Amino acid sequence: MPELEFTPVIGIEIHIRLKTDTKIFCSCSTNTDVPANTHICPVCMGLPGSLPRLNHNVVEKGMLAGMALNCSVQPRSLFFRKSYFYPDLPKGHQISQCDFPVVANGYIEVHDKDGNLKKIRVNHLHLEEDAAAMHHSASDGRLEGASTSYVDYNRAGMPLGEIVSEPDISSSSEAVEYAMNLQRRVRYAGASDADLDKGMMRFDANVSMKCSDGRWGNKVEVKNMNSFRALERAIEFEIKRQKKIMLQGGEVLQETRHWNDAKGVTSASRVKEFYRKFIVEPDLPPLIVTQEWIDKVTAMMPEMPDVKANRYVNDWNITREVADVLTDDKNLADYFEACVKAGANPVRTANWVRTEVLRILNEKGQKISDFTIKPEVLASLVNRVDEGKLSTTQGKEVFDYMCSNDSSIDDAVKHLGITEGGVAGNALNDIIQAIIKANPDVLEEIKSGKDKKGKKLKFLQGLVMKETKGQAKPQEVAEAIAEAVK
Amino acid sequence: MELYELDLYSMIEKLKAKEISPQELYESCKARIDSCEENIHAFITRTDDFAKKQLSENLSGIFAGVPTVMKDNLCTQGIKTTAASKILGDWRPPYDATAWKYLREAGAILMGKVNMDEFAMGNTCGNSAYGPTHNPNDISRVPGGSSGGSAAAVSAGYVPFSLGSDTGGSIRQPASFCGVYGLKPTYGMVSRYGLISYGSSLDQIGPFARTIRDLQLVMSVIARHDPMDSSCFREKNPDFTHREDVNIKGKKFALVKEFQDFTLDAPIADAMTKTRKVLEDEGAIIVEVSLPVVARYAVACYYALAMSEAHTNLERYDGVRYGYTVTDAAGVKEMFERVRSCGFGSEVKSRIIAGTCLTEPSRCDEYYVAATKVRTLIAQEFTRAFGETDYILQPASPSMPPKIGEVDDDEMKGYEADLYTLPVNLAGLPGLTFFTGYAEKLPVGLQLIGPRWSDPELLNAGLVLERHLGQPKIANGGIK
Repeated sequence: MPELEFTPVIGIEIHIRLKTDTKIFCSCSTNTDVPANTHICPVCMGLPGSLPRLNHNVVEKGMLAGMALNCSVQPRSLFFRKSYFYPDLPKGHQISQCDFPVVANGYIEVHDKDGNLKKIRVNHLHLEEDAAAMHHSASDGRLEGASTSYVDYNRAGMPLGEIVSEPDISSSSEAVEYAMNLQRRVRYAGASDADLDKGMMRFDANVSMKCSDGRWGNKVEVKNMNSFRALERAIEFEIKRQKKIMLQGGEVLQETRHWNDAKGVTSASRVKEFYRKFIVEPDLPPLIVTQEWIDKVTAMMPEMPDVKANRYVNDWNITREVADVLTDDKNLADYFEACVKAGANPVRTANWVRTEVLRILNEKGQKISDFTIKPEVLASLVNRVDEGKLSTTQGKEVFDYMCSNDSSIDDAVKHLGITEGGVAGNALNDIIQAIIKANPDVLEEIKSGKDKKGKKLKFLQGLVMKETKGQAKPQEVAEAIAEAVK
Repeated sequence: MELYELDLYSMIEKLKAKEISPQELYESCKARIDSCEENIHAFITRTDDFAKKQLSENLSGIFAGVPTVMKDNLCTQGIKTTAASKILGDWRPPYDATAWKYLREAGAILMGKVNMDEFAMGNTCGNSAYGPTHNPNDISRVPGGSSGGSAAAVSAGYVPFSLGSDTGGSIRQPASFCGVYGLKPTYGMVSRYGLISYGSSLDQIGPFARTIRDLQLVMSVIARHDPMDSSCFREKNPDFTHREDVNIKGKKFALVKEFQDFTLDAPIADAMTKTRKVLEDEGAIIVEVSLPVVARYAVACYYALAMSEAHTNLERYDGVRYGYTVTDAAGVKEMFERVRSCGFGSEVKSRIIAGTCLTEPSRCDEYYVAATKVRTLIAQEFTRAFGETDYILQPASPSMPPKIGEVDDDEMKGYEADLYTLPVNLAGLPGLTFFTGYAEKLPVGLQLIGPRWSDPELLNAGLVLERHLGQPKIANGGIK
């Protein structure tokens, strides 16, 4: 009997915080860097008599995120009331677009296990409000069993986009690539900062297993993954767990499971799913997106990272690997392109940014937006090295000095005692003559023709380079020495 | 004549001319309230301190110094707002409802928050956690509901005008029971911001007054755009300027064909006859329109929608953030259950349960979704009808106000009563209750309905009727 094969069938729901200054249904600030319950108002507190009003910037960010995922904008979408009782939900219902989303039918690409590109379809992105944040006194940080719970309504009404994929994902690594690619693309579009540490991006996964003997396992929804690593581990755990059940001839229970990151396991939710039902939100009219609005937002869409990387490779002959690194972060790509625009050679600039700039950022734990050397200045430095005014080594010394001291190129050159353009002509010949004079035996050997491999010539060149502190061009030095020993 | 007996327009004129002072007016109204309130019980909360504070400030605006009362489902900043429910406890809103804000900014003085059926669910004003209100014309009778307190306060001469809300007749029916004018404006004409929701797509705030001109004055202040309500109109503000030269010559007034076999109390049937004659004498044409979908489905459609929306609107009352709560619950689930079990009255609970059932996933399409579709048909039917007529004339209620505690077991009559008011909310139309005269000591009102956004014209038609049928007198308020 052939061994049974299992194929995981995975769909992912990703919540991203849309990047707006104010909440989705009121004008409270979305800045979270404030004491609890200070950015609240009658609307996001769901006080009796208050009414939601849609923030059009949220719609725009949702459209941008959707476009980044190759979705199309829906001219008419609706809001619903999604009911359940929980202390973090001020109105007892969440206002969500549910199944009438503002954008739908997109895809993004990941690599399958053979390294081939594979499309993961995005069913839709819908807009909704976030609930409040809760803090429980219980040791496991959950509501059940907590003697005291605190609610911070600053988060209530934060704008979210929920992105629902089709079940096209077949492994944890595809899942992670999907999530990372999605994160990169929505960041590119300026739709979300998607900062995992700040809870701006959260994952739920629907995992089921298809067996080669024709059996389909039930779908299990796994919740509470807040990092790429957790997403990966939770899916892997679930795949193993479900496979084991099916191998033993059992049936996977259709349920919602909770990922416990500390223990590395999923466990059945202790709370029964709240009974949910939807009615149309009577306080918000249907959301109508005109073609003009779509055109305006389309014009705001920047080049996406994959398109950008291809351009670097095709137009600028940058290697795929470097292109991928440079386009991972839009700000880094923007920086690089600004250098090129300022007149620097693309390939060499790419290498500078890739090695030197990223090294400094890593060392300092900075973002490219914090980087002190302006693109025009880096371009100028790259050009000086290109033109031979500075050697590569000198260029790097100057760069390091500029980073540490926030100085100009000229100040760095001056401080490091470098003579730009190097030692050449008579000055170089003087040094060569002095060195030859000081090493008569070497000269003798060369003249006698014993230095067949040119080792002694190289030796003299080394001495000259040392004497000029590397400020002479090696080619020039070699030619001048050859002339001098004739 | 006492100052409280003046209508709104006269008060404004006398205040402007400095013939009377806001203080004098306040004292007169307060004295009237003090003498009648024991009989009527219109108030949930009296706001004498707030009124005095307002009077001590520089009053400006067209209502400067005019006393008024608000239905207790309209939020008033810092002043207890209950929606006549125990569940809101001692809650004091941190903000003003827009309609009240506009009035406050126009200088109106708040005398108090008045009684209603809990969360506006009811038509007697007897379904209140604060006890029933009595009809000022006959204190053994109900004032109607749910805006019974607002209607009674104007009828008894407490104040020249008040605000109420109408989800399925809650302005028009009590206006007819109490003998005052009441306008349920077009949906979207008055901002709902700060109105504690019952059925959000049906709710509308509107005024009560003792003259049509006074309704025009109030509408000119409250019918203004408000960015806080997404369902509020966005065009330029409507014109409610009063004109004396209005007429209804050649205008069509329709009776609804399907309603003609309904039973009416004799005084109401007489009022219909009398009003038809007035209209004809004024050169109007009486026609008939047919509303078969309305007649057959409107009531079921209305309750499906109102309760579906109501149960989600009332989900927020969980005892976590404000209002009535319990502190010794064993867990959050028990807390929710106890707060909602003890906080809501039985009528509200039954409507929440009905709404929950109607939207339950396995039935949602059959009831809630079907109702939303029927609603569209009803709106279309009215649009077609208003292609054939300018106004629709019908009762606001087929019955005279019942005695308090008296239950009418005639279900058919209840169904027919609903048909006079609910469809107007389903289609978002304006409806005006106007006074036609007295039968014995009880006032009799009727209803005039217009197409959407025709509120100014509707009031002009009301002016013509008022000219012929006369204005109501202030009710005796239980004082012999």
